Amino acid sequence: MHVPWTTKHRPKRLSEIVGNQDAVNTLLNWVKSWDKKVPGKKALLLHGPPGTGKTISVEALGNEYGYDLIEINASDSRTGDAIRRIAGMATGQAMLFGKKRIVLLDEIDGINLREDIGAIDAIVETIEKTNYPVILTANNARDPRIRSLRDVCKLVEYKRLDARSALEYLKRIAAKEGIQIDEKAIEFIIERDEGDMRSILNDLQALTSGRKKVTYDDVTWLAWKDRKEDLEEALKTIFSAKNCLYAKKVVDIVDIDYEMLFEWIYENAPRQLTDPVDRSNAMEYLAKADIYLRIVKRENIWKFRKYVFDMMTAGVALSRERTEPSYVPMRFPERILLMSRTRMVRGIRARVGAKIGRRCHVSSISAVRYYLPYLRIIFENDYETAAGLSRYFGFDEEDIAYLAGDESSTRKIERIYMRLTS
Amino acid sequence: MAVAMWAEKYRPSTLNEIKNQTEIVSRLRKFVETKAMPHCLFAGPPGTGKTTAALCLAHDLFGERYMDVFMELNASDARGIDVVRTTVKEFARIATISGAPFKILVLDEADNMTDDAQHALRRTMERYTETCRFILCCNYSGKIIEPIQSRCAVFRFTPLSEDDVEEYLRLIAKKENVKFTEDGIKAVIEVAEGDLRKAINTLQAAASLKKAVNQDSVYVVVGRARPKDVREMLELAFNGDFLRAREKLRLMLIEYGLSGTDIVKQIHSEIFRMTIPEKNKITLAEAIGEADYRLVEGADEEVQLSALLARLAIVAERANQ
Repeated sequence: MHVPWTTKHRPKRLSEIVGNQDAVNTLLNWVKSWDKKVPGKKALLLHGPPGTGKTISVEALGNEYGYDLIEINASDSRTGDAIRRIAGMATGQAMLFGKKRIVLLDEIDGINLREDIGAIDAIVETIEKTNYPVILTANNARDPRIRSLRDVCKLVEYKRLDARSALEYLKRIAAKEGIQIDEKAIEFIIERDEGDMRSILNDLQALTSGRKKVTYDDVTWLAWKDRKEDLEEALKTIFSAKNCLYAKKVVDIVDIDYEMLFEWIYENAPRQLTDPVDRSNAMEYLAKADIYLRIVKRENIWKFRKYVFDMMTAGVALSRERTEPSYVPMRFPERILLMSRTRMVRGIRARVGAKIGRRCHVSSISAVRYYLPYLRIIFENDYETAAGLSRYFGFDEEDIAYLAGDESSTRKIERIYMRLTS
Repeated sequence: MAVAMWAEKYRPSTLNEIKNQTEIVSRLRKFVETKAMPHCLFAGPPGTGKTTAALCLAHDLFGERYMDVFMELNASDARGIDVVRTTVKEFARIATISGAPFKILVLDEADNMTDDAQHALRRTMERYTETCRFILCCNYSGKIIEPIQSRCAVFRFTPLSEDDVEEYLRLIAKKENVKFTEDGIKAVIEVAEGDLRKAINTLQAAASLKKAVNQDSVYVVVGRARPKDVREMLELAFNGDFLRAREKLRLMLIEYGLSGTDIVKQIHSEIFRMTIPEKNKITLAEAIGEADYRLVEGADEEVQLSALLARLAIVAERANQ
């Protein structure tokens, strides 16, 4: 039977949760404090990116310490009435011998204000009346739609899982499942899924289904599994053809678009053509193909497409003059992988660039070029100025960490920043 | 004292404060006197005062509240011509209420627009010419289509003279209480190459090292701003390890976000310091120039630069034989 790993390996106890130890401790202490007296804030708002363990830590806590969870999540209809009905159970008198309860309102930033009429008011009302701990989860605590909730909740932040603890955890799961998987392959998945444990587990399970051993190459070829043979055949033709027409036919035969085909040829040409002169000639043909490709795309001049094909197939094929034939396996285009692996850091960079651009009258791309290198130096060396500039540009924690580079500098800058803003 | 980027904090706010580009400034003053101006094209390298001149012109024409009738749009950030068109239309179509005779729209980095987008822009410029003046800023005027160029007064901004850069730097250093040595300030001027923004940013970064800005601290900044990866990449290429050289290039472009043009520039300066026959240097320079030219034309940075690396490898190999 197929059981999703996200269910099968769901933590049963708080100690099994990876990362976010501070948040988990705050959660536990707050829930426990209800035993003595009702705390000042009767609700917790757990907020952070998807897959960081917000919901599962509440579940694990309930399981470990014997609480009944009264749960309302995004898939239920969340009109004000529905919430009041379910939450009614939370306002009832605590039963002497009954189990203790926690009310969990999952994904509250998913509330659709038009359809879930009155939901927010009903939640606020529930929190006012409740006799049990109320816990809410959200991806973005700054969402203006939940502003009124922020005031009545204690906020607990869940951060993106750091790669190292995610890696250790996943290695344990792979071992439990009896699967041998390269560390590099796991790292690749962690990066691609931006530390979202739910996606990571799903991907890892999909990847390993039906096999006992998974390598980095398997992971990178994943999306291309069915087409691997065709494509390898096509590339082999390009790297060995002795005449132009034969090489050019590949474009028609192979079932991928020509820009993607270009990436494959560009990745593999220097691996296949190992003689320096052959390699340089092939790379020059690819560079020319790229120029024609830009014209096709930029100016919409379609007649230039045929030159793109000529250069990237026949041009590369006929560059082979000195390289001896030998078998070299084809590789997945590494730069496409790098693009997906660096999506997060590129996202932060673009955001930092945009924030600089707004202040300094440049585009976000130019901001990266003209300001970023200097800001890095300032953030590494002068924390006072760095904190001041963070306020000046409106940088958040992630931005500061990106510029400062290491954790201890980030902390120091943030501490000064807090002092400035308070 | 509030912390800010000095390049921004000390940006002139009126034409009178601009010390360089005297000819351009005097032409712009005429616009202020007559309260009339044509569409303009400001062309020139980064850090020479194009945006500043546009801001100052608007300020001098309309006074402190010029922001009501002034808009700045960046062609690289605005996604597609449709955004430009709608934004421009919204801004340009409503006549001014504050008594200003027209509005000013600055379109920065206009040379990043495709030809199609530029043609659409030209029509928009024409349609709203009654109510709105355009100032297009670009690095290369050649990349602006002829019909737009012919409708604009063209202003060519040139790199600042060393004296002008020095004057600005000394002024800022004094106001910010930055201690510096003479060789330090000379070094900043030298690396800036007439780009005032680069000069000021270099000064501010060097000042963050918390000692008097001297030649060494400036080179530390320049070294960090220009990472040693370029040299390492070249060494790999020259030693025949093309694949690792390309990997390094890839990291610089994608992960660190360096621009291809900046990498080419550094390759170029490294080549002439190498111990290879002079004849080979010029062969290499030719290849580098070709790559740089293609980048300006909008080609893919990694593809072009890795072709260059493959080429460098064989020239270096021949030189060693």
